[in-house]
Amino acid sequence: METMRARRADMIDPATIAALGHIELVARWIVDGFLAGMHRSPRKGFSVEFAEHRPYQPGDELRYLDWKIAARSDRWVVKQYEEETNLRASIVLDVSRSMEWTGSPARLTKLAYAERLAACLALLFLRQRDAVGLIRFDDSVRTVLPPRARSAQWKRIVTALNEGGSGRASRAPEGLEAAGRQITRRGMIVLISDLLVEADSVLRVVRGLRGAGHQVTVLHIMDPAERELPFSHDAVFIDSESELEVPASVAEVRAAYRTTVGEAIDEWRSALSASGTAYELISTDSPFGVPLRRAFAARQRLP
Amino acid sequence: MIGFLTPLWLIAGIAAAIPLLIHLLRRRIGTRVEFPAVRYLARAEREHSRKLKLRNLLLMLLRVFTVLVIVLAAARPVLRAAGTGHAPTALALVIDNGLSSSLVSNGQPVLGALKDRAREVVRRATAEDKVWLFTADGAIAGGSRGTILDAIDRLEPLAGAGAPARAVAAAAALVRQDARQEHEVALFTDAQATTWRSPVILGDVRLRVFVPSSPLSRNRGVTSADAVPVRWTPRGAVRARILTPDSATYRITLDGRTLARGTAGRDEEVAVRAAPAERGWTAGGVEIEPDELRGDDVRHFAVWIGAPPGIAVHAAVGEFAKSAIDALIQADRVTSGNDIAFVPVDEAVRLPALLVVPSDPVRIGAANRALERLGVPWRLGPLKRGESAVRGPGARDAQAAQRLANVSATLRYTLIRRPGESGEVLATAGGEPWIVRGAGYVLIASPLLPAATTFPIRASFVPWLGDALSHGLTGTTGSVVMATPASAVPRPAIARELEVAGGARLPLTADTLQAPDRAGAYFFYRGGTRVGALVVNAEPEESVLARLGDDALKATLGTRQVGVAHDAPSLAAMVLSSAPRRSLLIPLVVAALVLVLAESVIAGTGVRRAA
Repeated sequence: METMRARRADMIDPATIAALGHIELVARWIVDGFLAGMHRSPRKGFSVEFAEHRPYQPGDELRYLDWKIAARSDRWVVKQYEEETNLRASIVLDVSRSMEWTGSPARLTKLAYAERLAACLALLFLRQRDAVGLIRFDDSVRTVLPPRARSAQWKRIVTALNEGGSGRASRAPEGLEAAGRQITRRGMIVLISDLLVEADSVLRVVRGLRGAGHQVTVLHIMDPAERELPFSHDAVFIDSESELEVPASVAEVRAAYRTTVGEAIDEWRSALSASGTAYELISTDSPFGVPLRRAFAARQRLP
Repeated sequence: MIGFLTPLWLIAGIAAAIPLLIHLLRRRIGTRVEFPAVRYLARAEREHSRKLKLRNLLLMLLRVFTVLVIVLAAARPVLRAAGTGHAPTALALVIDNGLSSSLVSNGQPVLGALKDRAREVVRRATAEDKVWLFTADGAIAGGSRGTILDAIDRLEPLAGAGAPARAVAAAAALVRQDARQEHEVALFTDAQATTWRSPVILGDVRLRVFVPSSPLSRNRGVTSADAVPVRWTPRGAVRARILTPDSATYRITLDGRTLARGTAGRDEEVAVRAAPAERGWTAGGVEIEPDELRGDDVRHFAVWIGAPPGIAVHAAVGEFAKSAIDALIQADRVTSGNDIAFVPVDEAVRLPALLVVPSDPVRIGAANRALERLGVPWRLGPLKRGESAVRGPGARDAQAAQRLANVSATLRYTLIRRPGESGEVLATAGGEPWIVRGAGYVLIASPLLPAATTFPIRASFVPWLGDALSHGLTGTTGSVVMATPASAVPRPAIARELEVAGGARLPLTADTLQAPDRAGAYFFYRGGTRVGALVVNAEPEESVLARLGDDALKATLGTRQVGVAHDAPSLAAMVLSSAPRRSLLIPLVVAALVLVLAESVIAGTGVRRAA
């Protein structure tokens, strides 16, 4: 069982699979692997207005199989309908400078991890005929792609993910507000960030989005080194975003630091939960399947 | 009180400053690291600053104390715990039982008081102590307390001074080798100034001295008594010196009978002439009335008494030799006769004879033939010219050596001993035999002329000639050996036995012999005939009873830890009084381990909590 899991792209070490190809290709492998692991097609939203046929794919529900064609031509096709999307999703990605950091050369930076995760999510949404958009922000909103369900949207998202960023600040509230503006009816907003931001402003916006009926999921990206503080020497630690400098004796402060990080995570979790927001802490050494599964589970809870 | 066995390790205590410096300098950090989550770090330091400071301070103190405790342990501290008996001690008792300890003071011999104090010390010793007893005669006793007490009971005053300084040094060396915690030497002495004249080096050992405070009486004693000359023919004299603050009545005895009586004044030398009827080796003595120190009230001497030998002087021996013989005849040391011939070697036809080499080198061949004919185991070798210093027989015969001092020989013949033969060398010139003696002959390797040697013109020539004629050539060879009780002395070559007290004769085989431990005149024998005497008397200084003061005594006894007591309580407070030393090594090692454990726990607490 373990061997089978390991072969799937969504369960491979993120740095390993990221090294195999560009972001588009990697995202396809991961999503394919992820879907292959599902016993039932995740797709929903098939409506009554027929649009076209397409080849059957494993995972498609048999009730949409066109039996007549199968009987006549021995081809397996499923019926597709004009309006099959019932969800508009927007992925809000933090591309600030703090995201461009890794605690080990053997791991992806938080941003590289988050970009691939965003691509995977977008592809997953599109595969389900959901409309998906992308918003990138750092000290300003860098990219705004309104949600679309067309296949060309995937190309646009991948192209946008390859754009630059890394501003000095994380304006997460602005990014979330931009996402809220893009989704006119109830939809889903996924924030991917290291959450090195002012919590109050973010929570305020999140509560607003929740008030508007949106499902909000926060994927908190952390490098393992940010949780463990594994350094062995004393140093002056510098935040390149805020230029905050703190001299510390690691051996003396490590325990207190770990406690503080745990408390901060708990605070995020409890504050977001209080507003009905899903929160997932994701480590950059976790295979992509893990956050995908959590995000997918959040999607499944929607109608 | 805490002491350290290896105090140099305390210097390493400087290392305790290392954790302190690290603590003070830890904020001086040069490394800069980019770290996005600095806000968490700042928050952690802000929220836990009090706890962190306390923890850091505690860790610093624990590390400083750990270093200090380890350094202390390395210095091997010992704690002296008072009031719990005394530490196991290697104790050597040294009792100075020299002659002066036989002084009776306050109705009790000084030695009695010394023994009483020594017994008290021995009784305070425990089974964990090791006790030895040293005495001035060099004897050592060890074993149980009972054994030591028995040895003390049996102790008697010596007839002489003994060697208490050597005994103390030996005692110190012995206790230093013992593995016990404490090393102590307890010296019981009358602190006689003449005994403790030279410094004694004892090393690092604790020395406790008991000196009785009993008063000293004004001692009288015979400090010298000699027969002059040692051979009476039969006329002679006894010379004596008596130590007395005022005057003293003396008696001179010879072979047990009174030879003379008289009164001697302060520092007056007594000289009594006599021509006794006794013959042969005879013992005599000079004695005074008994006083508080009996051991020096009599002093012994020995003398050979006999008729003067008849000397036949050959005209060729020289004018100086003939004049010397005339002087000896006038002094009744010799007479004209035919007992001994005084001739050049080439003219000698019989023994006994005093032989001198002929002044004419042409006669050397005849001289060698005469020597061979007479059975003398020497022959005359090559003639040597040039001044050579003459040396006497040394310590073996100090008087003869003194008489030959400053004598030189400018013309002499090499004396060559025949292989396998023996002969006694009385003097050397240039390191070669110059005067030799054997059975019935004395041979001088230079003519007795001023051109050949300075000997005949020296004042010492006449007495030397008298002794040579009477000692070596009369058939009654032998001399007097002076000794102190129990001392080692060289054995006279002629002596084969020594007659000791009670008439027993001890065979003499070694080159040295130990004198009897009692004063007296003892006789050497060879083949049933007396051939000399061994006169044993105490050292004259033993009669001088003045004591050293405490400071002078301490200065003489070379050790850093010396104390002097004059009564029993003071002595008890000083001897076997060292509190037991308990090592603090194990408690300190345990403390260090506890500190290290505590440091590990505190340093690791945060790690486990975070994990």
